[in-house]
Amino acid sequence: MTTALRFLIVDDFSTMRRIVRNLLKESGFTEADEAEDGVAALNKLRNSKFDFVVTDINMPNMNGFQLLAEIKGDEKLKHLPVLMVTAEARKEDIVAAAQGGAAGYIVKPFTKATLEEKVTLIIKKAGL
Amino acid sequence: MDTDNTLPEPLPDGEVHQKIGALTRQLHDALKELGYADQLRGTMGELPDAQSRLSYIARLTGEAAEKVLTRVEHAKTQNDHLAAESRRMIASLVKDPVAAVAKGEIMNFLTDVEQVTKVSDEHLTEIMMAQDFHDLTGQVIARVVALAATIEQQLVQLVIQTAPPHAVTAPIEPLREHLAGPVVDPDKTPDVVTDQSQVDDLLASLGF
Repeated sequence: MTTALRFLIVDDFSTMRRIVRNLLKESGFTEADEAEDGVAALNKLRNSKFDFVVTDINMPNMNGFQLLAEIKGDEKLKHLPVLMVTAEARKEDIVAAAQGGAAGYIVKPFTKATLEEKVTLIIKKAGL
Repeated sequence: MDTDNTLPEPLPDGEVHQKIGALTRQLHDALKELGYADQLRGTMGELPDAQSRLSYIARLTGEAAEKVLTRVEHAKTQNDHLAAESRRMIASLVKDPVAAVAKGEIMNFLTDVEQVTKVSDEHLTEIMMAQDFHDLTGQVIARVVALAATIEQQLVQLVIQTAPPHAVTAPIEPLREHLAGPVVDPDKTPDVVTDQSQVDDLLASLGF
């Protein structure tokens, strides 16, 4: 199954962006673009149409929490589901992400099944 | 220019010990007076953490290498099997194409191909997933480098403050604050999750 939903994958490590992109493709989500930090992501989000954001937290220039706040504070972007995929495993970070409006939280290292399950669940909840 | 290359006369053992002791005391007093004693002690306290971070890197890269090699070995074995079956099939088709189809050899071979390619795809996905060590170790390396930079910064500050008045001093760059990054030692780290199920439980308890 393939869907036309367009993903933005945000991570400062190109290896991880490629892994997530390939996993999404294997799960049928073939439309994706990448950004290396929150600033580049916001720029792309404001200049192109996306349906879903998958973001790391620990990034230079603008981290994932700041990006989440920017997205949720922007009238045109706040509807976008944001899935955090991160090595940050502190409970306070997970709580902060949930309270900040994140649609899901995955800790690295993760499996293909976990990513597929969370993305599918979020899409269903968001009615995409 | 004349240079004196002769070594000074060796000091008696007791005197060397006394001089080293006096120098150590001077350094200790100077650090204390300048307020660096606590700062340096704090930094030194982070060294065992750096050690466990480096161990984490060694472990993660080792595991990734093992995982990739195991998957490659399995995939190569299956590939060899497929290559042998292909050769056998070609020989069978050349010998008697009708019999090859009639006996179901072709169908069996194609079923085999489908199964092997499916398993190969799983191997390739796992090999790809094993590359996540780059991201995780990269973050940990960055933290160890930051620690080295802190020690360097403190030593530079010490040099600047103890330099003669006419010496040139360089401005000190403030260090960037970091998030915690990967948990290298979950047993010794409070309030962290160790797997995805704990994340899901925590979020569920919050009503998400």
